[in-house]
Amino acid sequence: MEQRIRKAIERSGADYAEVRIERSQRSRVLYQREKLEDLGTANELGGMVRCLKDGGWGVAVFNDLEEMEAKAAEATDAAALVGARASSPVRLASVPSVRIEHRIERDDDVRNVPLREKKELAEAYNRIILGESKSIVASQVQYADAFREITFANSEGSFLVQEVPDITLILAAVASDGAGNIQQAFEPIGSALGFDTVRGKEDEARRAAKRAVAMLDAEPVKAGQYTVILDPRLAGVFIHEAFGHFCEADFLYKNPQLAEIMTLGNEFGTSDLNVVDEGYVPGRRGNTPYDDEGVERKKTFLIRDGRLSGLLHSRETAATMDAEPTGNARAVSYEHAPIVRMTNTYIESGASSFEEMIRDVERGVYAIEAYGGQTEFEQFSFSAAYAYEIVDGEVGGLLRDVILSGNLFETLRSIDRIGNDRELTGGVGGCGKDVQAGLPVTVGSPHIRIRNVTIGGK
Amino acid sequence: MDTLLNRAAQRAELAEVYHLRCDTIPVVFRAGALESIDTKQLAGAALRVVCDGKLGYATTTDLARPEDLVEAAVSGAAFGESVSLAVPSETPPANADLMSGSLERVTMDDLVDLGERAVSRVTDVAPGTEIGVRVTKTIDRIVIENSAGLRAEEARGGVRLSVELSKASKDDILVLVEEIAARSVADVDLDGLVDRIGRYLGWSERLVPAPSGEMPVVFTTQGAIAPLLPLVFGCSGRLALLGMSPLKDRIGEAAFDSRFSLIDAPTLAAGSSACGFDDEGVRARRTALVSDGVAAGFYYDLRTAELAETESTGNGFKGGLLGGANFRNPPSASISNLAVGPGEGTMDDLIREVGDGLLVDTVLGLGQGNLNSGDFSNNLGVAFRIEGGKVVGRVKNAMIAGNSYALLKDHLIGIAETPRWVLFGRLFTPAMALSGVSVAAK
Repeated sequence: MEQRIRKAIERSGADYAEVRIERSQRSRVLYQREKLEDLGTANELGGMVRCLKDGGWGVAVFNDLEEMEAKAAEATDAAALVGARASSPVRLASVPSVRIEHRIERDDDVRNVPLREKKELAEAYNRIILGESKSIVASQVQYADAFREITFANSEGSFLVQEVPDITLILAAVASDGAGNIQQAFEPIGSALGFDTVRGKEDEARRAAKRAVAMLDAEPVKAGQYTVILDPRLAGVFIHEAFGHFCEADFLYKNPQLAEIMTLGNEFGTSDLNVVDEGYVPGRRGNTPYDDEGVERKKTFLIRDGRLSGLLHSRETAATMDAEPTGNARAVSYEHAPIVRMTNTYIESGASSFEEMIRDVERGVYAIEAYGGQTEFEQFSFSAAYAYEIVDGEVGGLLRDVILSGNLFETLRSIDRIGNDRELTGGVGGCGKDVQAGLPVTVGSPHIRIRNVTIGGK
Repeated sequence: MDTLLNRAAQRAELAEVYHLRCDTIPVVFRAGALESIDTKQLAGAALRVVCDGKLGYATTTDLARPEDLVEAAVSGAAFGESVSLAVPSETPPANADLMSGSLERVTMDDLVDLGERAVSRVTDVAPGTEIGVRVTKTIDRIVIENSAGLRAEEARGGVRLSVELSKASKDDILVLVEEIAARSVADVDLDGLVDRIGRYLGWSERLVPAPSGEMPVVFTTQGAIAPLLPLVFGCSGRLALLGMSPLKDRIGEAAFDSRFSLIDAPTLAAGSSACGFDDEGVRARRTALVSDGVAAGFYYDLRTAELAETESTGNGFKGGLLGGANFRNPPSASISNLAVGPGEGTMDDLIREVGDGLLVDTVLGLGQGNLNSGDFSNNLGVAFRIEGGKVVGRVKNAMIAGNSYALLKDHLIGIAETPRWVLFGRLFTPAMALSGVSVAAK
């Protein structure tokens, strides 16, 4: 394979060229109510050539590896067309060339587990959910695994082979009171390890079912401004969605107005706020030992002591902004060129215990687990999977329909307590940016308390 | 491909092969300048089999090894779901309007040229903003074959243009997003796009406080996605079967205002999901979901229709609820193009009629809220304050919320006359105004 790639790179005629070949095996099991809705396997092989010519980028994507050489030439032609019209030529920060082979060896490797066993495990969880209560009208148990082998080579002599496992399980329950009130609850499980990740999750299945039923009696939250405590999972999603994306340098490097807002040293929060993106934490889905430009991972402090202290870079953004590449150029698959993405992103632990955080809140909301989220520049919106009201310093009744929104900068400044209980979450979700959705990432945080958060509702 | 179907048919009582070849050229401009050109050529196949009454499914890009794909699907079927799947045997005609003859000949240079024209036209009306443009040409060639004798073949193609502008200062960031899906370069309506951007930017010059409470809201064509999205789910035959649609058991009932109609219309060639047949080879047809306020039906794929003891409406698509062509997913009940029946007057008439309220063009967090119950709850993206029947400035840091079923029944102020394609060319809707929408402002 290496020789074939080398030949394509050499003959491309590009100033810089890289080839990424991805071979993947996936399997999926989906139960909805008593039906096995989806049971399938996928085998995929594809590649991408990315070329730089006269300072412009060209990319070609293909499934037939026989065409690699022709595709390299095609990418170079496209690059030349871009180069001829580009206002400023692309430069790449220099990085050491790397030769590594990173293989996964595990007893519980998902590839060695028969599809039948995956199906039977999902079926067992599904049965638990459906059997929990008469109010449960539907369930969704969704198991998915992927094992990707990614080969990367560039014209600077790097050659990397990395194996990337990813395994996720969603245990979801839907309850109805039969009169139009339909509520759901879910438990997400995920890792970059093996099949053991999803074994023994009977309690999680029961928990999802019980909560869906409990949600039928939850009060819809009243719209207004609240002091909100976010649990580690929701706080992790908040920091990823609302702040992390702002630190992706490809968002800033051609936009002087935004780059001005994101100048290193600018104050974003109180002095005990620290935010990190770390390329490798054992077993985590966001892991990127070497990124899709062959750059080694880093631990990057985005916020240190309340001030912006770092951004996430590709080789291109690093060269433009006079910074070091951070190993954050990631592509969701061979169908796409790498763009700047997060890996494992979290808020560091602070000093407060949960008790200290809640005791002086007269009226507030304790929001747990993200159901979804979206940000657009400074505006964000995301929904808690469930929440409790806080009354006179204590956790009260269950609330539903809690959707938080706000302005990033105001909200970061309004974080007034940071817990001492940081957790990272495997999660099942993928991160979306531009046209690349479903990139595995990890988020984390301790509990955090935020003043004056807008919660929508009736 | 014949070999694949034949090999599968030898080992299964039913076999269906879906073959996709997808050619895409995305051209990206950033900060007003050309940034990259990609050429993507993907090919893959999906095989669905029924063996001893049980379903098996597998996909691959390795078309040189059909035996592996057959083995994967057949071995999965050994413990698959018991189904009774009646695939169509008669080949439906392709929709000949989907491939404008000129699309095949559209080159990279043509796409670059369209992008440059868009950048230049937008720059004229939006000086001092950062402009990003993405132009994509896509041609999907689909072949579906099954062991009942069907062989359906179609090319579906189009050009998509999206524009994002931003204007950032220390205190405020404004982002406008516009998207056009068209059958070919010549059909891209840059004039309309530039008019809308110019108008919204003019209204954005003043930032005014957002009001709070229940009030009437005018949704632009793009903004109408927010209240309509829950219906995409509610009209799904699958979700109705699962007991997760509020419209379940309400067919024939006046569940909405009599001025509201909604159809699934794969036959509208201008929509990006137009097709002659769905991804199961079932002939495309117009399906009434809501007719003059009366809940009229659900959309179905083959498997859901079988379970619900009805016919497929030709809505078995592999892209999921919001996806495009895709060989990887099994087909499931999904919308094609949705169209809202037109009303009367213009959006400006609705603004005048509303008097005091909001005008909403984009929201954040589409799909948040309890969609199954019909609730939407979104942070405002681009939105404006209406006072005295006029737009007086932009508002931000506020949320809107409501229940689509309640609002479209008893709170419909009006629907404008002229629809436009939004939601990546999958929803054809006019602007509309609803009263009693909750707004929570900071």
